[in-house]
Formats: sequence, structure tokens, C-alpha cells
Amino acid sequence: MDFLNYLQRDSDRLLELSLQHLSVVLVALAAGTAIAVVLGIVVARRPRLRSVAIGSTGLVLTVPSFAMYALLVPLLGLGRTSVIVALVLYSLLPIVRNTVTGLLGVDPAVVESAKGVGMGPMRRLLRIELPLAWPVVLAGIRVSAVLLVGIAALGAIVRGPGLGELLFAGLRTIGSPNAVNLALAGTLLVVVIAVVLDVCFLALRRVTTSKGLR
Amino acid sequence: MSAPAGPSMISLEQLTKSYPGQVEAAVQSLDLEVPEGEIVVLVGPSGCGKTTTMKMINRIIEPTSGVIRLQGEDVTHSPADQLRRRMGYVIQQIGLFPHLTIEDNVAVVPRLLKWSGDRTRARVDELLDLVGMDPSVYRSRYPKELSGGQRQRIGVARALAADPPVMLMDEPFGAVDPIAREKLQNEFLRLQEELRKTIVFVTHDIDEAIKMGDRIAVLREHSVVAQYDTPERILSDPADAFVAEFIGAGASLKRLGLARVRDYPYADWPVAAISDGPQAALAALDRSDETSLLLLDDQRRPLRWVQRQDLQAAGASLDRAGMAVRAMVEPTATLAGALDAMVSSRTGGVVVVDGRGGFLGTVDMGVIMKAAEDMRAAAQDSARSGGPLMRAASGT
Repeated sequence: MDFLNYLQRDSDRLLELSLQHLSVVLVALAAGTAIAVVLGIVVARRPRLRSVAIGSTGLVLTVPSFAMYALLVPLLGLGRTSVIVALVLYSLLPIVRNTVTGLLGVDPAVVESAKGVGMGPMRRLLRIELPLAWPVVLAGIRVSAVLLVGIAALGAIVRGPGLGELLFAGLRTIGSPNAVNLALAGTLLVVVIAVVLDVCFLALRRVTTSKGLR
Repeated sequence: MSAPAGPSMISLEQLTKSYPGQVEAAVQSLDLEVPEGEIVVLVGPSGCGKTTTMKMINRIIEPTSGVIRLQGEDVTHSPADQLRRRMGYVIQQIGLFPHLTIEDNVAVVPRLLKWSGDRTRARVDELLDLVGMDPSVYRSRYPKELSGGQRQRIGVARALAADPPVMLMDEPFGAVDPIAREKLQNEFLRLQEELRKTIVFVTHDIDEAIKMGDRIAVLREHSVVAQYDTPERILSDPADAFVAEFIGAGASLKRLGLARVRDYPYADWPVAAISDGPQAALAALDRSDETSLLLLDDQRRPLRWVQRQDLQAAGASLDRAGMAVRAMVEPTATLAGALDAMVSSRTGGVVVVDGRGGFLGTVDMGVIMKAAEDMRAAAQDSARSGGPLMRAASGT
């Protein structure tokens, strides 16, 4: 009963923190997607660069958030910027990997006939290869999105915006009656945001994938 | 080797492709003239370089050296994308764009060439009609909703879209079942009668080569031309042991597949109208040297084969005398088809009928033997004289 009262009492702030959280994730995801898709296109047909790109973006994912912020804050200071840069770095691997997989999965006969009708490399990429790889690329973006929602909560340690603030407040005041409410609300809202984003991506997939590929 | 009949649409001069790290070239100094409006088939065992050769013509594979001419113009180094828009390209896997509708697939080249929307739309409908697919049904479907044969037709329509003078076809009917393949081949030949495109057609199947080709280049390793000639000449006068072996057994039978029933005199079997009764039929049989007679109905459609004893045993009616006619062909059938009908019906003759089923004549073993003999003699004559080639006695 206490928890529901808490939710009601603090609903304005909870909504604001949720929107901040979502906004940080979406900004980082957009930037990460742009970088990772371009990177994926560049390395897809170059085996050596490909292993470098996938290896190094994979390495980034193993760096703990604490270590990441310890490295970023001296350069970018406390707050939103550091959080977004960290999230961009964390988002790369799934998108790069899926872009590469998607592009390599395009039927060579389709690529050859695109050449055969007289499409140049750029047109082939934009009109044939990317649209055909798109469902796989989008799946990568979706994985990154859910991943970032969780990681973004840790942004609070460098005074980043979002739901992490509730979790840390709960941690600081542990033992006080409100501590559990704070932690519970933070956790619940992170999960809700992750689920909502996931569903949005499923819908996006339906809308943006050609009927010929479904 | 014989000189090409018409002016060359495509000339390959000393065309060579070698890959780094390989001692021998995939294609070695190939010279080939493709006459305008003809189907030239490149045929040879796998690995002979026939596909590499074809793909050098639209520079999907860039030649190492040599010259490619299109209508006399050196296109060896001209922009490849522009060149390809002047050449239709059909491959075995077809490679339709799965995310685009049939209309968008066919419209690809017209749109690259910046045709207006109306003109493109009209052209798409025209082409779908041409390949026998109702535009209103198929225009907005996707490739995955079509059968293999239908996809193949769309592949051909896409290649024809901007009306290119040249078509390159790499085993275009290789991926469909034998019955569909036969049908697609016939349709394509009928289309070609109207379109008169210059076509380079690659296959490993000598029977397909004989059927489709106005001219066949038999290639051995490194795309070296073993023989470049008409199907008739290749069958009756193979240049060397390699060609003979590649044709395989049954060259005479294959030659029968090139000749049409209508181009040979029919056998002289007697006929009589069934309504005239047994006596008239007996009289007609007596006047001929043959042992069987063909009974016709009042519209001169063939009904039954009868022999002397059938006529004598029959009463007033001939409705059940002898045996029913089972083997019938139209004049456009090949002699091979007639022979097949004859053998499978277990009778000594096959009846030739017109489109409405009316009697035209009969073909028997004697007709076929005579035709085979004529073809052999004609081919040998033209081989000796080296003169201009005719489709041996087939009249086309």
C-alpha cells in the first residue's frame, strides 16, 4: 500500500525521470546506429577490417560502466554528455554485427542481377542490399535498445539524467522506510521502458519491412 | 568454321581472362562474332569458361586483355553501368529483387534510364502480356508469390524492359523442372521470332543448344572454340573427336529434332470416307500398294486404320473395323516428335492433321529414313562446298 501511495505522490517526478531516461537512450541509440551501420557497410566485404571492427566493439562491451566513466569524465565532465557517449559505445557491437550479417546474407544472384541491369555500387547498396539486410540490421538495433535502457540506469553515478537517480537515492538511504520504494519504482520503470521500446521495434519492423520479405 | 551470315552485333577479339595466381587463363584469346538477330549458344563441359566468356561481354567480369565491340563500337573500357543497360541479362538463379513488386522489378531499367512514369507503366504491362502473365493479376505481387516458371518469365521481362538490342542468358532455364523448361524454351523461341534480339545463350546441355541455337559455339577448356557452326552442321559434321564426343550418341536422332514434319513429303497411304462403306474402301485399298487404309469422317478427320481382312469381315458398318487412330501430330511437330508418337502408339504410321483435326497426310518409317538421309547429304554438301549455310532442307 505504501508503494502505491509513493507512486501516486511522486508521479510527476517519476514521469520526468522516465522521459529523461528514454531520451538519453534514444539519442545514444540514434548516434550509435548511424556510426555502426556505416561501419558495418565499410567492413562487411573486407574480412580483416571486419574482425577488427567486431573484435573492438565487442571489447567495449566488456568494459564495466564504472571504468568507462572513470575514463570519460576527465574528458567530457560529469553529466549527460558522458552518459550518452558511453551508451553510444556500448550500442555498437550488436548493430555492427547484424549489419555485416545482413549484408553478407543478401543472395549473390540478386546482387549480380543488380549489377547486370546497370546499377552502380551506391545505388545497389541503397536500393537493393540495405533494404534486403534491413530486418537483420533492425534486430541488432533492437537488441542495443534494450541493452542501453539497462546500462543507462548507471549514468546516475556521473550525475547523468534518468531513472538511475532513484536507484542511487535508494542505495544511499538504505534502511530508511522510503529506500525500498525508490529502488522498486526505479527498477519497475526501467523494465517498463525496455518492454515498451521492444514492442515499438517489433511494430517498426512490420512497418518498414517490404511485404516481399515477410 | 564458317563466316557469320549477317553483320556482327558483338565481336570479341583476342579476349582473355586470367586470374592472379593461376598459370593458365580461364579464357584464352577468344575470337567470336555474334551476328545480329541470332541466338548464339556457348556450350561446353563445366569449367570450360563459357560463363566467364559471357560475363565479360557485359563486363560483370572484366577481361584481362582483348577487345569487346558492340555494333562496331569498342566498349571494352566504356562505363560498365551504361553498357549493361543496353544488354538484357538473365541468369539461372534469376535474381529477382525479392523486396520489390513484379512491376518494380520489371521497371528497374526504364527507371534507371529515367523514362516517364506513364511510359514505364505501359511498358511493364506490355511485357507482362508478352510473357503471358496478366498484368492486373501479377503487377503488384512479390517474387516469392510466383512459381519457378513464372519467376523465369519475369526475369526475361525485366531483361527486355528497355528493349536492349542484346540479351545475355546464362543457363536461363536451368533451375526449372524438365516439363516447365520445355515450355519456357518454346515460348522463348516464339518470342524471339518477333523480337529478333541478338542473344548469347550459355548452357552445358547440348540438346538445349541444338534446340535454341541458330549457331552453336562448342567450347573446350580455356574457352577455346572447338567448332562454331549451325546445329545441323555440328551434328552431321563434327569438327573433331572432342565435338563428336560432346554431342554424344544419337546425333542422327538429335537431327530429327531439328526437322519439321511439314517440310517433307508425306507417305502415300490410301484413305476413304467411312460413310462410303466397305466396298469403296476395298476398292481404294486395291488401287494402292499399301496394306492398310485410313478411314476419315465427313469432316475428313482421321478415325480408324483398317486392313483388307477388317474390311472383308465388316458388315455394312465400319464403325468398329480395324483399330482407332492414336498417333496424330500437327505439321509443326518435329520428326523426332512424330517418331516418338509412332513408337509409343505401336503403329507403323502417324497421321498429320491441321489445327482443326483435318487429315493432311501420314508419316511413316520410310518418310523419316528418307529425311535423315537427305539431311545428311545436304550437310555434307554444304561442308564440302563451304558455301553459305542453309538450315538443311528444313525451309526456315
